[in-house]
Amino acid sequence: MKNLYKYTGIALAFLGTVLTTSCETDSAYEDEPASIAAIAVANPAFTTLEAAAILGDVAVTLSNSNAGDPSGDFTVFAPTDDAFARLGLEETTLGVLQQPFLKNTLLYHVSDGNLLSGSIMDGGTASSLLGPTRRFINRDGTLYINGSEILATDISASNGTVHVIDKVMIASGADVVQTALALNDGNVFKNPELTFLVAAVVHAGLVETLSNPAASYTVFAPTDAAFKTLLGGDPAVADDGLLGADYTGMPSDITKLPVDLVTTVLAYHVFADTANEKFTPEMNQGPVATFQGENVTLGAFTDGVLTVKGISNATPANMVIPDVQTTNGIVHVIDQVLLPTL
Amino acid sequence: MNLNLRLLAGALLMLPVTMLAQSPVSGFMKAKGEGSITASFSSEKYDEVFLVPQKVDGVPVFNEVQTTSYSLYAEYGISDNFNLVFNLPYIKSEGEATPETLDNLGYENERKGVQDVSLYAKYRFASTATPNGMINFIAAAGIETPLGDYRADEGLQSIIAIGNRSTDIAGLAIANYKHNNGIFATGQIGYSLRSNSVPNALLSELKLGYAASKFYLDAYIANQLSDDSGVDILGEGFNGFFPATRVNYTRIGFNAYVPVYKGIGVSGGYANYIEGRNLGDADGFNWGVTYSF
Repeated sequence: MKNLYKYTGIALAFLGTVLTTSCETDSAYEDEPASIAAIAVANPAFTTLEAAAILGDVAVTLSNSNAGDPSGDFTVFAPTDDAFARLGLEETTLGVLQQPFLKNTLLYHVSDGNLLSGSIMDGGTASSLLGPTRRFINRDGTLYINGSEILATDISASNGTVHVIDKVMIASGADVVQTALALNDGNVFKNPELTFLVAAVVHAGLVETLSNPAASYTVFAPTDAAFKTLLGGDPAVADDGLLGADYTGMPSDITKLPVDLVTTVLAYHVFADTANEKFTPEMNQGPVATFQGENVTLGAFTDGVLTVKGISNATPANMVIPDVQTTNGIVHVIDQVLLPTL
Repeated sequence: MNLNLRLLAGALLMLPVTMLAQSPVSGFMKAKGEGSITASFSSEKYDEVFLVPQKVDGVPVFNEVQTTSYSLYAEYGISDNFNLVFNLPYIKSEGEATPETLDNLGYENERKGVQDVSLYAKYRFASTATPNGMINFIAAAGIETPLGDYRADEGLQSIIAIGNRSTDIAGLAIANYKHNNGIFATGQIGYSLRSNSVPNALLSELKLGYAASKFYLDAYIANQLSDDSGVDILGEGFNGFFPATRVNYTRIGFNAYVPVYKGIGVSGGYANYIEGRNLGDADGFNWGVTYSF
């Protein structure tokens, strides 16, 4: 009888062990939806987004319910690795960006509540946690948010909804001039960019015009490399640029050019219609009148971007960073200076 | 023969403790005045993480994590029915984050140091002979507390933290059956109270083995179920503080031991997670040298 008691005790102890050891199975939580952050971590197409969310300090935010909205949910437009790669960004290169800019950029992809695809309409807008609103565009049946194509919709997360997009959206939160200055001052990329353009805008006295808060510009912004090629020519050939032997490679080179010329060239980079800013999906192949008076020629809308060619350019320019939203227009950074009839 | 078996079994059940995996308390008792000291080495690696709701490929930030530990483990018989168990590991945890990522985040690929010292007391409160063997019932209680000055609060850097900086108080109930032919089975179940926001946990382990005079082998399944007050990594309530996460696992492994010379023997083992929540899917080997007296 005593033995029976002991054997029963042992049996119970072993049974308890077996029961508890068998408890940890994924069946206990495999049906739980992942958080937005967990979706980014689990999906191999969002490697860069995962790294950006960590570096940009939003990973914890997107792990939790949205305290800022009664629904507790966020809606995130999530750029794929390919989207980041268009800007030369991957996990190892995110460090070229200033962290606050990266964080703001990520917040521009996030909004309060659940915005489902069924309520996304052409011409509609959606605010972002950063502040500026995003615009929805339907081009030939394909939906875009700003310049970014929406590749997949309505991925349900524990704390909201994820839509997948093919381009990173950028909003500066400032006007065209201040946006260029932010790049010039190294507040976007750690290395200053658009320094020649800023020098040109100042030299031409266009600061006030391009700061007009009532305008809605579409602006092509040539990179520093584009200006250097124009002014300095081929680095392998001496003095073959516009400035000849006067070229130093510094933004101050711009001041060696006549003000009228600089003004004319800059005006050629702005659409004549200053009341209707254009994202890439809102542009069409063909000539477009510029503020300067002559036309630039847009190439076909391909893979989300268009080329743009000036009358005196030998080849069309490519968009390096399309669809930068500012408070008074949209800036498309391009790799050549557009040249009108000179 | 019986005496030899008892000595052998007593000597080797103090096999090295693989990190977080295996109960430090065995189902066997040291006789009064007898003891053992084990120096062990273990190496584990993982590049997949059990997250909710799924296991993911690639450890965030660190890609792959390798954990190496050196432990000093000892057991001593104050009396035939009352033993003390001591364990102290030194752990090195290494990630494989790219130099660029480390630079961007200000992180490092290595964390190392003395981890948590643990001391358990075990008491055999009942034992009875069966027709062909012996059953022991053991109660054990212990404390584990950080001895080194390692950190666990460095945000995602602490993915490779070597511990939780928690002081744990654990109680265990153990039943051990040993057949005269050398086969044995040990079941244990316990509960661990934990500080530093670490969820308390229900611990259990079932071990089956064979102990003969020249050879010892066991296989075990160990389980931890954390209190659901813990949070899931990247889930609701997660704030980047990893100790507060709800870590569950089921782990299987085996250990082998061979006496070499007099009181000295060598051991080896392997362990692998078969299921988990909020931890790396690590597997790895351990090796040890034991001196018994």
